Amino acid sequence: MPPILLGLAATGCGIAQAWLLATLLAALLGLGEAGWGSLAAAAGLALLQVALGVAQESASARAGEAARATLRRRLFGRLLAETPASRPAGEGAALAVDRIEAMDGYFARWIPAAALAVTAPLAVALSAAAADMLSGVILLAAGMLVPVGMALSGIGAAVASRRQFDALQQLSGRFLDRMRGLPTLVLFRRQEAEARALDAAAQELRARTMRVLRLAFLSTGILELIAAAVLGCLAWRHGNLAVAGHPAPVAALFCLLLVPAFFAPFRAFSVAYHERMSAQGAAAALAPILAEPGPAGLLLEEVPPSVTLVVDHLTHRPDPARPMALEDVSFRVLPGETLVLSGPSGSGKSTLLKLLMGFSTPDSGRIALNGRDALALAPPERRRLIAYLPQRPVLLRGTIRENIRLARPEADDAAVEAAARAAQVTAFADDLPQGLDTPVGEGGHGLSGGQRVRVALARAFLRDAPLVLLDEPTAHLDPATEAEVLDSLRRLCTGRTAVIASHSAALRARFSRVLELREGRVVPQRRAATP
Amino acid sequence: MTAARDLARILGLWRSRAGWLTVGALVAAASALAGLALLALAGSGVSQGLATGTLAAGAASLILMRPLILLRPLLRWAERMATHEATFRALADTRTWFFRRLSERLSAGPGLNRSGDLLGRLVSDVEALDGLYLRALVPMAAAASVVLAVAVILGGLSPALAAIVAIPLALALLLPVLVAPFAARAASRNAAATGALRAEAVEPLIAMEDILAANAEPRALAKLEAAADRMDGERRRLARAGSLGAASGTLLTQAALLGALAWGLAGGGAGAGAVVVALFLVLAAMDALGALPRAGAALALAAAGARRLLEAADQPIPVPDPPASATPSGHAIAIRGLSFTWAPDRSPVFDNLSLDLPEGARIALLGPSGAGKSTLAALLLKLAAPQEGVITLGGADYTTLSADTVRARIACLTQDATLFDDTIAANLRLAAPDAPDPALWDALERARIADLVRALPDGLETRCGEAGARFSGGQARRIALARALLSPASVIILDEPTAGLDAATERAFLETLDTALAGRSAILITHRLIGVERPTRILRIAGGQALPAMS
Repeated sequence: MPPILLGLAATGCGIAQAWLLATLLAALLGLGEAGWGSLAAAAGLALLQVALGVAQESASARAGEAARATLRRRLFGRLLAETPASRPAGEGAALAVDRIEAMDGYFARWIPAAALAVTAPLAVALSAAAADMLSGVILLAAGMLVPVGMALSGIGAAVASRRQFDALQQLSGRFLDRMRGLPTLVLFRRQEAEARALDAAAQELRARTMRVLRLAFLSTGILELIAAAVLGCLAWRHGNLAVAGHPAPVAALFCLLLVPAFFAPFRAFSVAYHERMSAQGAAAALAPILAEPGPAGLLLEEVPPSVTLVVDHLTHRPDPARPMALEDVSFRVLPGETLVLSGPSGSGKSTLLKLLMGFSTPDSGRIALNGRDALALAPPERRRLIAYLPQRPVLLRGTIRENIRLARPEADDAAVEAAARAAQVTAFADDLPQGLDTPVGEGGHGLSGGQRVRVALARAFLRDAPLVLLDEPTAHLDPATEAEVLDSLRRLCTGRTAVIASHSAALRARFSRVLELREGRVVPQRRAATP
Repeated sequence: MTAARDLARILGLWRSRAGWLTVGALVAAASALAGLALLALAGSGVSQGLATGTLAAGAASLILMRPLILLRPLLRWAERMATHEATFRALADTRTWFFRRLSERLSAGPGLNRSGDLLGRLVSDVEALDGLYLRALVPMAAAASVVLAVAVILGGLSPALAAIVAIPLALALLLPVLVAPFAARAASRNAAATGALRAEAVEPLIAMEDILAANAEPRALAKLEAAADRMDGERRRLARAGSLGAASGTLLTQAALLGALAWGLAGGGAGAGAVVVALFLVLAAMDALGALPRAGAALALAAAGARRLLEAADQPIPVPDPPASATPSGHAIAIRGLSFTWAPDRSPVFDNLSLDLPEGARIALLGPSGAGKSTLAALLLKLAAPQEGVITLGGADYTTLSADTVRARIACLTQDATLFDDTIAANLRLAAPDAPDPALWDALERARIADLVRALPDGLETRCGEAGARFSGGQARRIALARALLSPASVIILDEPTAGLDAATERAFLETLDTALAGRSAILITHRLIGVERPTRILRIAGGQALPAMS
């Protein structure tokens, strides 16, 4: 609201100044009286108008900022509640950054511009009508034509704009995908071919964008045409009136001087209209995500000291085009017990752990923790009970210490160091000049595959949760390191409830209970004797 | 003046688009002049009519207006089309250029750069460059032509009036250059803050499972919001510089306007005709000059974008190619006296390592993780260069071979081999672009994944998802393995080819390694042997050297 009022006040100043200029000009032409006083007043009005402009701009920016912050918070919360890896990270980032930024124009400029495009020209036209009725009518009529012209070109442009946004997002996703895999491209000597493909994609995007703009710019052309025609009409009318000795020469000049002021709000509207279309495209992409119901579910009163995990007839098929990921899987793990999931890759081990983590909801079946339905808990609440090692853990940019502390930010240095020792992180970190404070790049650059897994494993040690879920904790480890990690794992699992997915024979040898999966189903077997 | 130098370099990149860029600026100037003529003719026509009370005096002006009524909208539309076409062409060129530069420089991965930040440089910093042309150079060209026209027209009527009007307008022309340094700091901070925001958005999404597992969503969100706050703060500063520029622009044009009237009042109606023309000229010039203060901010933003792009694009090439590549005869590899460390402050990975891989040989390379097995692969692929020692391929010293020559002969399954968000076929064909479908199936067969792919409804056309996310770890690994096996290279390095595979599949693959390799030399990097690999030599990497292992 403040930007609109400030804008209207500035228009008022403009009208008053136009009147003063007209009287001054008429006086110079010998058609009236005006002097230095009027000039000083005009100068004062100019200053006031400048000040109002500055104030309007900063008020608009503040409105946009607040609206974007709210949207961004909601959107990012929703993105983090989605199933991991269900949406490319580049696309998610484009949503949280570019699309939200595209909404800025909507709040900061479109809303005030739209309001001013109705009110400001009306005020100008009424002032013109007060001076010369026909001039006012001409302006009003032109004002009515503007939206018609804009709508004609705008409808097609809106459709094209949405498509163009999709193209931009795809291009953005593709860039990130290729950038992350740049080493692979380079090793297969495909970087040049990929550069050419990216160029082709960019050219394609240009062609699409130009198609949108051809229509969108048409509305600018139409606006200019109307403005030029109005100027022509007014000039012609007052030129003809002048022949017979103009009845109101000041009014004639006043009306002409008002033309730029009359069309300025429309120009601002036209610029903002493009922003509105971008915003509309962005909103179309944001709306379905924001409309998703927020992560609902019960809250956890406190983390229980121990957990009994019961999985009952769990069935899951995330992709209807692919076979069942899990079918009718049931088992039970008591506190102090460790269950090893084995089976060929693709048999559903990771899927099962992800369901337990609440990354997605199973199609049917039941997961119970201490006899209570885990699916009724909000997924983040359920995760408070769990220490989890993903199959492909990702390290964040920061030091090794910060990466471990992610699991429990309030942990003190001693606890972090103990976890690092247990996961055999210190075995290699001690050789680094900065030890645990060695910085690692995004994705763990600077560490070998086995070292990254150990850092992630240290997170699970630090987490200190009653339920431990580990996905391939010893992949990428050499036998000696694996043996040491397994010793620590035993300690980690002692007294806790644990499920470990692993191919490792050494790991299976340490833990007695094995559940074998094949194509999503449990392979029936003799239950090994509990030690 | 690094900003000016950076922008000049960017303009240099756009040389091949000079035609489009010039046409755009010329049409913009023509369109601005048409707008100027339109209002000036209308104003002077009516005023002359009012002053003389006859139509004859103003009629010429009013008739001249008629074609302009059609010409001005047409020119305006053409201006926007031409300038945008030129910009998009130039930007697409810039983006591809940047990708090529990075592929030479970041061949070993994004390193300590964040991939989200790099993406930001590719997308938004390149886009900030459009301001250089679209919002700075074009409006400046249009405004300059308008101010020149005003000065010439008024100069013919009264030199004194021309000076009073044209000097403030000419000063307004300088505004972009005056505002730019003022806005530059805020602009570069704004670009950095936007990059940081993008990185804060990408990182938790890439590491989403880790973030969720740690209940770190609120922390990730807080970091995102802090980055957004910083960005908004910088943007506010930038906007303030812009709106102060806009205010000074308005003040200058108002000074010209009121100056002309004051000149008229002081002259007592003597030069009334000239004042009328001046008044309407200034009024019309406001339209073209109004874009100038923004041009300053745009200039600053473009300079900041250019700086960040060039910063990333100008990193040193890790292993520069020799001017012309020698041609190796054969593909025997010999390493002599190799010493290597990733960074001067890190302990050396290799110390005087020597190794031979004759043609057709198969070496198994063992050693604990972190011993440098993967580093050896990086050196053999020319991703890094040894500080001391010599590597030869087919008798030719590595320093005389281009990376392309080496990589045409040596293929590698790296530990972090990536599947792209494309079809299985397209992912496989990275290794051999012209391979027919049967060859793809053959490679999948050898990697023990053909059955699974066959069972997919879309077969080879199944999309893999980002980083192969639609497959399990072991499946994605085997597709990457198939890709390495498909490569026509005569030496194959397999870095833990069976990591993530179950024991049965692992054994089946290693037993058929002979057929899979089809007579090529191979280096098998692994933690342990299961007894079916039949290597010609077994070496253990320890203490920076390759020692024969006890079998």
